Parts: sequence; C-alpha cells; structure tokens
Amino acid sequence: MQLYRKEGNTIQILSFPAEEIQKGEYVLIKDSNHDRSLVTQIIDVQFAAIPGILEELLRNSTTDEHICGENLDLLEVAPHVTYVQDARMLICKIRGTIQNGILSTNTGWLPSRASSSITKLSTASLLAQARIGNDLPIDLGETRETSSVTIDAQMLDGKLNIVTGKKETGKSHMSKLLALSLVDYGAPVVVLDLNGEYAKLGFSSDGQKNEYHRRVRVLTPGDNFKITLKQMKLRVMMNILFHALHLPGASAQEFRRIWRFLKDHDTLTMRELGEVIRNRRCNLHVRDALCSRYYSLLDSGFFTDNHEEETSLKKAFCSIHGGGALIINLQDISSINRQIVVEFMLGELVELLTQSKLKAVFLFAEEAHLYLRETYWNDIVTRMRHFGIFTTFVTNQPNTIRENIYRQADNIFLFNFTNEHDLEAVSRASKVDAETVKSIARELLPHHCLVLGKVVGDFPIVVKVRALDVQTMGQTRLFFTDEN
Amino acid sequence: MKTLRSERFRPVEADLFNSETENHAQAKSTLLDYGSPSFHSIPLKPLPQPTTITAIDVSNIRLGETDTGLLTAIRAAVVWRQKRQYKYLRLGPFPFHITEQNKQEVYDIFRQHYLPTSPKCLVAPSLPNMQNRIGNLLERWLQMSMSAGSRDNIILWDGSLTAGTPDNPTRALLQLLEITRNRLNTVLAFTKSTTLRLWNRRLTDLTTRTPPPRLIQINRYPLHQSTPICFLGNIYIAKLTNGSCSFRLDIDKNIPSAQRVAAVQKLLGNDLLFQGYPETLRLAHIYSTFTANEVLGIQRFIAQTYGLRVVTRLNLRRLLFGPYGKGPEA
Repeated sequence: MQLYRKEGNTIQILSFPAEEIQKGEYVLIKDSNHDRSLVTQIIDVQFAAIPGILEELLRNSTTDEHICGENLDLLEVAPHVTYVQDARMLICKIRGTIQNGILSTNTGWLPSRASSSITKLSTASLLAQARIGNDLPIDLGETRETSSVTIDAQMLDGKLNIVTGKKETGKSHMSKLLALSLVDYGAPVVVLDLNGEYAKLGFSSDGQKNEYHRRVRVLTPGDNFKITLKQMKLRVMMNILFHALHLPGASAQEFRRIWRFLKDHDTLTMRELGEVIRNRRCNLHVRDALCSRYYSLLDSGFFTDNHEEETSLKKAFCSIHGGGALIINLQDISSINRQIVVEFMLGELVELLTQSKLKAVFLFAEEAHLYLRETYWNDIVTRMRHFGIFTTFVTNQPNTIRENIYRQADNIFLFNFTNEHDLEAVSRASKVDAETVKSIARELLPHHCLVLGKVVGDFPIVVKVRALDVQTMGQTRLFFTDEN
Repeated sequence: MKTLRSERFRPVEADLFNSETENHAQAKSTLLDYGSPSFHSIPLKPLPQPTTITAIDVSNIRLGETDTGLLTAIRAAVVWRQKRQYKYLRLGPFPFHITEQNKQEVYDIFRQHYLPTSPKCLVAPSLPNMQNRIGNLLERWLQMSMSAGSRDNIILWDGSLTAGTPDNPTRALLQLLEITRNRLNTVLAFTKSTTLRLWNRRLTDLTTRTPPPRLIQINRYPLHQSTPICFLGNIYIAKLTNGSCSFRLDIDKNIPSAQRVAAVQKLLGNDLLFQGYPETLRLAHIYSTFTANEVLGIQRFIAQTYGLRVVTRLNLRRLLFGPYGKGPEA
C-alpha cells in the first residue's frame, strides 16, 4: 500500500490486488521520521484511475462470437498488466494518531508520502489502544478478522442509544443482546415490546428455561398488568387524557375536579369515576367528552378496581432486583391503549426515579414513533436522562427519529440500509461523518453492525453480532413454510 | 533484456498516439509539386467472392531510459477475416533494452529474419531510431510470413509501398512483393496520413465529386532524379465509403490493372469498412497498440524481473527555467 493523497480528513491509499482489504477495516500509516502513526479507516474501495483503462477494457471486451483470437505472450507480461489494472484506491477517513503508544484524536498532521509504511490495524489492537471494554465488558461479536469485540457496559450508562437498520438485518437481536448484557451486570431494563419479541427471553432456543428466566418478567397490559386509579398520579392521568385520548381543555378541568373529589373521599375507583361522570351536573358536551374518555379507559382493560389484580411497578422492579428486565408486551393492543400504557409507564418511572426508589433504568423502545407522543422525544433525551432513564431506540424507519435525537445520540448501532433517504437520516448523527455512514452501512451483511459512538471510543467498527441462545420471537411468521 | 541488471530506470511519458512506424523522412524527400500527373477515376462494385482478408500491424513504444540505453517494447497483431468472423493473433509485448553495445546484435537478429539475403554488415541505426527500426523489421518479417504462408488472400498493410529508404531497401521489398504475387496474394497498403502532395495539396484531399466506392488512380509521378526512393506500387486515392475519409492506397505495380481493382472490390465484398477504412486493419491496429495501462504493466514487469529501481526523470527545462520551462523535456 502506498499513500497517494490527502484532502480534508480523507486519505487515499493505493492498494494492489495481493493486499486483502475491505471496507470498514483500519490501516495504520506509520511515519518513521516522526515516530507516529495515523489511524485511518477504509470507507470505500475504488478502482484506481489507471490511464488507458477504458481502451484496455474495450479492446478486451470483444469476446463475442465474431472476434476470437490468441495472445502469444511469451514473457508473461500480461499478469503485470492485470495487476496494474486491478490496482485499488482506498478511500480512508482519518480517525486518530498513535504516538508513543498512546491513541489520541489528534489528526492535524500529515505523514510523509515517501517514507511512510502502511499496514493493516486489527480491530482488536485498535480497541486495546483505545482502552475499550475493560471494566464491564459486553461481548458484541467478532470482527472480520474474527477477533472478539467487546464494549464497556459503562459506556451505555447515562447514554442515548439508537439501534437502526432495515428489516431482517438483526436490530432486535442486537437490542436483546444489549439488554441481557445489562441484566448480567445487575441493571434494571424496561422493554417496550411492540411485537412481543422479547417475551421469551427467559427461554433458550431449545425451549428450556435459561439463566435469565427468573430475571425476565413479561407484563401484558390487560392481562397480568393492570393498575388501579389509586396507584396513579393525577398528572399521569391527565397526560393520558390529553395526549392519548385528546381530551379538550375545558373537559380536563372538570375531570381534575372529579378526580380531586374522589380522592378526597377516598373513592378513587373506576366504578366511582364512571358514576360521578354520569351524574355530574355540568355542560352536556363536557359530560359527553368525559364519558367517552372514561369508556376508552375502561375498554382498555388496563384499569381495575380489584386490588388483587393490580400490578405495582415498584414491586415489579423489586422482583428483578440485582438485574432483570420488565418486558411490557404491547403486542395485539390498539394504538390508543399502547399510548395509555406508555404514558403510564414513563410517568411511573419518573415518579420512582425522583423518589429514588429506583437508581436508574435502561429503557428499550422498539419503533417508538408508534406509541410515543411528539413531545416525549425531547423529554426522553434531555429531561428524563437526568432522572435516570437511559433510552435505546430501536427502529427500521430512521426518519421517524428526529434529527436532534440523532445529534444527541451517544451510541449508534447501525445495520444495513440501502435506501438513500434512510442513509441520509442516519448520517445526521454527529458521531461520525456522513460519508462513512453512507458508504459502509450500504454494504453491511445481515447481522453485521457498524458501531458508532462512545462504546467504541468514537472509532467506527464493523462487528458481526454474536448469536444468542434465547428464543427469538422477532422472526416474521410465514405462510409458505414447511409445517413438518 | 539479458544485459539489464540492477540498474536505475527512468520511465518516460509514453506518447501513445504517435508511435506509428511510418518513416517520416521518406515522405519529406518525395514532395511532388511539379510535373503533370493524370487522374483516372475507377468506380468500384463489391465483389462477394469469398476471400480471406489479412491485416498486419506492429506498434512500438518507448518505456524509459537506463544509464546505458533505452527501454522499448514492440507488439504485433495479425487479424484475419474469414467466413464473416475475425480472428487475431497478438505477438508480444516484447520489451527490449537497447544499448550502444547490443544495438547491432538486436538489429542483426531482426534483419536476418526479414532480409536473409541482405549484406551482412549493415550498420544499425542510431539509438533513438532503433525503436522504430526494429518495429518496422518485425512488421516486414510478419508480412513476409503471411505472404509466404497464405494463398489467394488480400493482405492489408499499414503504410505504403515506398522503397529505397534505410527502413525499406528496394531489393527486399521487391522480393517480398514477388513472394506475395507468387502465392496469388495481393497487397493493399493503406496510408492513413500521407505527406505526398500535388499542387500544394495533400494527396488524399484531391477527391472528386463522384460517389464512393471509388479509386482515383494517379499516373506519372515525377520524382527527383537523384532520389533513391521509388514507388513499388501504383498510387491510388481510395474513397471507399461516404464521409470525409479517403486514404492513400498502394497496390503492387507488377500485377495487372484489372487484378488490382478486383482486389479492392474483393475487400469491399468481404470486409466491413468503418469511415472508409478496412475493419481488419483497424482491428490489427487496435490489437497491437499499447495502452497507458499496458505501459505501466510492462514497466512493472521490467522493474520486478530485472530488479530495476524506478527513478524520476530529471526535467532539465523545468530545472533551469522553472515555470518557464515549457516544451518537451530536455
């Protein structure tokens, strides 16, 4: 390999066919004169612009039936011509400098073109230099060189993460891996499970109970997840009425009064609430509005007056003390009910965290745009982070996540995308340049992930995500499958 | 190349489009600007009688310089059109390291194959001319081989039938044409860009308004009495298709006039013509020509095989005159 040119933070390296090199790999440009090395990452592999190549190809393309012939190349020069023809230009981004064995992000120098030596830098060596994954290692998988890639769980703590990629590339698998790894280190995890994919995390692929079985608790709203009104703060209920059920302001005022009345009389139950609304002497339209919302709450099946049925989130978290996951199964429930449950969950989490009943929680939100109201996005990444809710968004529609979320994301686990618009959306992340995202993500194989952000010391790394021995429910149900 | 070991090698910028083997010196000495030549226009009809069309072309290119000589490469291509199919044979590339010490040896090797009966002590040309000369000799050698090895073919040459230059001794060319005739072959020598002029106009510009395909025969060429140059062929202007391209075409003088015309008509009936130029000859040129990519490949071959170190050629003009040092390298 030979250093060819530098433009901005892009370096072009001439590489020859014998040098096995791929996109995403790192190369080290060692300037022996200054005893320092530039760390660069290959973001694209192109053919070198060899003069006369078009003429050569046109001439050799005459392989149709009307032209045939023989080359008498006695000295065997042709392999050398082919060698030149196959020369490649590696487009690399400068990522850092290694000087005196210390890796830094200093990129403001230029190595010698004449005396630099260029070698591949293994990901394992890079991660070791960057001192990643030392304290609470999470084994993500392996690199192309089959060396293991570990990240530090502490780099997920207090951070905003995004797992994104197109369908069937392994997003949910990655989020399960992250969730279970956090569970391993004693962290409480809440998963807003849109498709019921996480429900069997406590079972291994052969259907047997696995090590997580006692630490994974699945809560299905309306089934084993019901709440009483007494559990709920008025603020949370108002959020549900405003944002999920779109209650107008005047009616909300009336509802507040009813709520306080019931609370003062210690009769805050669904039954009493219904009675009071029905018999309330107020504007007819307000009463109708309250009635319709009441029936929506009742129909959701999420509310109960039976204290034996009620679910206490506090108790649920106690049950996974020492590390565990609460899976909120949002499968098969309507969009409005989903929003009711999520509003309740987030309200309760904030409540538990502000009262210090919970230290912090890792929230995994699958396709959050389907149940998270607009104003919550900013709330989650700014305000709730301070309470101790550390979110991981999982989506296959990157444009549903706002640009400011990408900009504030600390870590991005990026799977394959081919669509330009999707890549454009993801490339707004501030953790890496747009070119890297667009070039590498486009060619990622299934279950290969480009990891960006603090977990990899801001050195983008391509990882083949390791398999998990858990029952995967995220697989698409097919019609044309062999029943046997 | 065997003399080449552990030397330095300065690649030169290869001029890929001016490596033709036509000898410009010969044309300069034959400016025909006096006399009263006559024209005879001959309409042509394609003759579909199955005939093999063969074309030969050779290219050479300068690859670089060493401390002791020049590095050059030659390659030849022979193309046949037979039964509506083109077949080709490419020979080479053959790189050569030509020095003052080995140039006579190299020259003699090539000369012996083409001119076995020529005098033994012909002095090799100067070093800069060796590249063209060995290319020319290889081309004549292949023309000889094709003429002797085929029968009843139309053989297309790239160039003219002008003899009497150091490149083309008259006796040797006569001998070659005789062999060709004896095998019932006919040579059609196409010159893409002739320097022959009449009345201050380039020969190929003297086309009439008559429609193609057509030959314009030019009779009675006046030549300087002192010049050793002679034309071994009848000279025609060939305008074989519509368009602006016409070519100088030389056909062996010693074959009957009707056979000369018939040969061109057979060419029309058996080969494709692109801008009035035979496709077989066009392919021969394409297959023999060096591309820039190949030049790099051959330079790499030489550097690796003979352990040469590639060094940048010193541009004296640039060194002396800085940004004012324009023009060719000194």
